[in-house]
Amino acid sequence: MIKLIGAIIIIVATTWTGFEASRNFSERPKQLRALRAALQSLEAEIMYSHTPLHEAARRLAAQLSKPLDTFFDAFARKLTDTETTVKEAWETSLREVWKSTALKQGEYEIMKQFGETLGRHDRFSQQKHIMLTLSHLEREEADAIDRQAKYEKMVKSLGFLSGLLLIILLF
Amino acid sequence: MGLEVDIIFKIAGVGIVVAFLHTVLDQVGKKEYAQWVTLFGFIYILFQVASIVDDLFQKIKSVFLFQ
Repeated sequence: MIKLIGAIIIIVATTWTGFEASRNFSERPKQLRALRAALQSLEAEIMYSHTPLHEAARRLAAQLSKPLDTFFDAFARKLTDTETTVKEAWETSLREVWKSTALKQGEYEIMKQFGETLGRHDRFSQQKHIMLTLSHLEREEADAIDRQAKYEKMVKSLGFLSGLLLIILLF
Repeated sequence: MGLEVDIIFKIAGVGIVVAFLHTVLDQVGKKEYAQWVTLFGFIYILFQVASIVDDLFQKIKSVFLFQ
């Protein structure tokens, strides 16, 4: 009886681990898409409504959903509350939020490079930089979708099967 | 005799699960991991079988050599 309960606990734990790992794979394309939408809105704010950066960031934070809104919120707050450059505020808020997202190092570098250009040019070169970043992110998104199709199912079944193997070995 | 049947089922279970793992890993192109998994499963079962065969030889020795 005790053995059976232990076996069930093991299999639940490993299956859960597998699902948790697969969630990472499915979250990444979603968050990348949200990030691209955010940058597009930022472009619109800059180009057409001439919003100041902290105001634009606050509006984006209101529009977006979970992990990304904290990023823009932190960015806006840093810009208004503290004496700092845009680049530093962007980088520190990026670093703070990054751990809670499913995004990878490649996107981090892209966003960091984008932060270095933010607020330093006129509107049209700013728009060009946003376009460049968007195309980089698009490439990353294609990669993310590819990986999702490839590994999501694998990780799920791997979790379950490794639990089964563990039970048989320990029985 | 009960123990022998148990161990046969155990080996069969390990074989099935390892075969599944091999196919899953193979399908996503992780051939090297698939081979490692199969190898470890094989080694584990080899040890099991070796211990059973050892038992068998001990028994034969005790029957025929009258220690």
